[in-house]
Amino acid sequence: MTDDIEMVVAYVRPDVLSDVKQAIANAGAPSLTVTKVSGRGSQPVKTEQWRGEEYTVDLHEKAKVECVVADVETQSVVDAIADAAHTGEKGDGKVFVLPVRAARQIRTGKTGPDAV
Amino acid sequence: MVSAGVAEGINTVWALVVAFLIFFMQPGFALLESGQVRAKNVGNVLMKNVTDWTAGVLAYFAVGYGLSSVVGALTAGRPLDAPFAYFGAPEQWVTWLVGAVFAMTAATIVSGAVAERANFTAYAFVAVVMTAVVYPVTTGLTWSDGLLSLEGYVGQALGVGYLDFAGATVVHMLGGIAGLVGAWLVGPREGRFDASGDSHPIPGHSMLLAVLGTLILAFGWYGFNVGTSAIYGPDDALLSAQLGRVALNTTLGMGAGAIAAMAVSAYRQGKPDPLWTANGLLAGLVAVTGAVPHVTWLGGIVLGTLGGALVLPTYRFVVDSLHVDDVCGVFAVHGMAGAVGTLLIPFFAVSGFSATQLLMQVVGVGVVATWAVVGSGVTFWLADVLFGLRVSPEEEEAGLDASEHGIAAYPEFTGGSGGSPDSQPVSADGGFPGGESDD
Repeated sequence: MTDDIEMVVAYVRPDVLSDVKQAIANAGAPSLTVTKVSGRGSQPVKTEQWRGEEYTVDLHEKAKVECVVADVETQSVVDAIADAAHTGEKGDGKVFVLPVRAARQIRTGKTGPDAV
Repeated sequence: MVSAGVAEGINTVWALVVAFLIFFMQPGFALLESGQVRAKNVGNVLMKNVTDWTAGVLAYFAVGYGLSSVVGALTAGRPLDAPFAYFGAPEQWVTWLVGAVFAMTAATIVSGAVAERANFTAYAFVAVVMTAVVYPVTTGLTWSDGLLSLEGYVGQALGVGYLDFAGATVVHMLGGIAGLVGAWLVGPREGRFDASGDSHPIPGHSMLLAVLGTLILAFGWYGFNVGTSAIYGPDDALLSAQLGRVALNTTLGMGAGAIAAMAVSAYRQGKPDPLWTANGLLAGLVAVTGAVPHVTWLGGIVLGTLGGALVLPTYRFVVDSLHVDDVCGVFAVHGMAGAVGTLLIPFFAVSGFSATQLLMQVVGVGVVATWAVVGSGVTFWLADVLFGLRVSPEEEEAGLDASEHGIAAYPEFTGGSGGSPDSQPVSADGGFPGGESDD
C-alpha cells in the first residue's frame, strides 16, 4: 500500500511546536502546514482577570500541524509528533490520520505520491 | 537677567512647545481608551477622541475662551472688559491655544467613562458643550481671576486664593466627575452587571495599547504641569526654583502613584497588575498637578502615593457600591486623585501650613465638584433629550464600529484583498450580496 497518501493532523501545545517540526523532519516528512487555532479538550478551564475581576476561558490556544505523508510510514510521523508533544499534562493534544484521495503539486503538475 | 524682549520671546516659544506637548496627550488618551474596550468599539473610541478635539477647538474659540473671562469678571465684581476682543487680537492667540489644549484634555477624559454604548452624536454634543460652557465656567471661577481667586468674592472673604496650579481639579476632577455622571446616566454596558447586581468583567482588547497610551500621556503631562510655569517671571528673572520644583514634583508624583497602585493591586489580587499600575501612574500625576509649585518634594511623593493607592478602591466603590460602569476608571484616576491631591496641598506647603488656605481648598474643591456635577448633568440630560444618550441593544451587541460608523477597526478577509482589482464579492448561492447583480 505504498501508493497511499495520508494526512496527519495534530493539535499540540504552541510551545512544543519547534520540537514537533524537528521531529517530523527527522522522520523524513519535512513538508507541513501550521495554523494557530483554539480548542477544547480535557484541559481544565483557565481563569483570567481584568481589573481584578475573574473570568474563565475554556478554549485553549493550540497549534494545528498538517502533514501529508506518502513515502514514509505514517505511523513513524504520528509517533514522532506524539513523542515531541508529550508532557503528560492534560492539554497535550491529539493526532488524527485522514486518507487523502488525490494530490497535485501546482508548480510541476505532478500527481499522486510524487506530488507529496 | 535678560532683556524684556528676550524673556518674552523665550516665554512664547515655551508656551508653544507646551501647547504641542499637551496636544500629544490626545493620542495618549486615544490609545489608553482604545486598549480598554473590545475590538468592535475601537473605531468609535477613536472617533470620539478625534471629535472632542476638533469640534472642541472650534467651540472653545467661538465661545469658551471669552465665556471664561465673563464668568471671571462676574464672580469677582469686575466690569466686563471686552471678553471677546481676542477675535481681533493675534497677540492673544498663543495664550488661547494653551487654554484650548487644557480644555480639550478635560473634554476627552469623559469619553473613556461612557465608551462602548454612548450614542456618537450625543457624545459629540456633550464634548462641544463641555468645551464651550462647562470647562470655561470652571476656569472662570478659578484661573480667570474669578470667584475662588484672590480677587473673587470667596477669595476676598477668606483673604487667600484657591490653589490649583495646572488643573488637578479645574481640568482633571472636572473631567473625572463629568465622566462618572455620564456613565451613570447612560447606564452600564450590557453584561457588566447581572440581575443580582454583581459585576462581570468585560476585558479590553489590548493591554499593550492601554499601557503605551499611559506613557504617551505621561510625556505630554510634562507640558501640562511644567508648562504651566513660565520660564521668566514678570521682572524678567529666570524662574529656576519654580521650574525645578514643578519638574521634580511632577516626576516624583508619577513614580509614587505607579508604585502605590502596583502595591495595592498586588495586595488585593496577588500579583502586580499592569493596568492598575498604569492607572496609578496617571493618578499620581493628577494628584500633584494642582500642587507642583506649592509643596515640598516629600509632599509630591505623599500626594502621588495617595492618588495611586486610591485608584483601585475608588474604582471598586464606583462599580460595587454605585453600580456605575466607568469603563476606563476615569473617576478613580482623574476625579478622586484630583480632589485629594488639591485638598491636601496646605499640609505640605513650602510656605508652611495655613488653616485658612485649607478652608479655601475645601471650598474650592467643593465648588468645582458641585459645578462639575451640575454642569455635566445638565449637558448629558440635554444630549439625552436631543439625541438619545444610548445606542440600541442591537447596535451595542454589533459593536459601535459597525453600527455607528460602518467600519471595522481590524478588518479581516476583505473582499477582493490580494486578488485582482475587479474581483467581485460573491455569496454562497452564487448571487451578489445585497441583491446587486448584472441584470
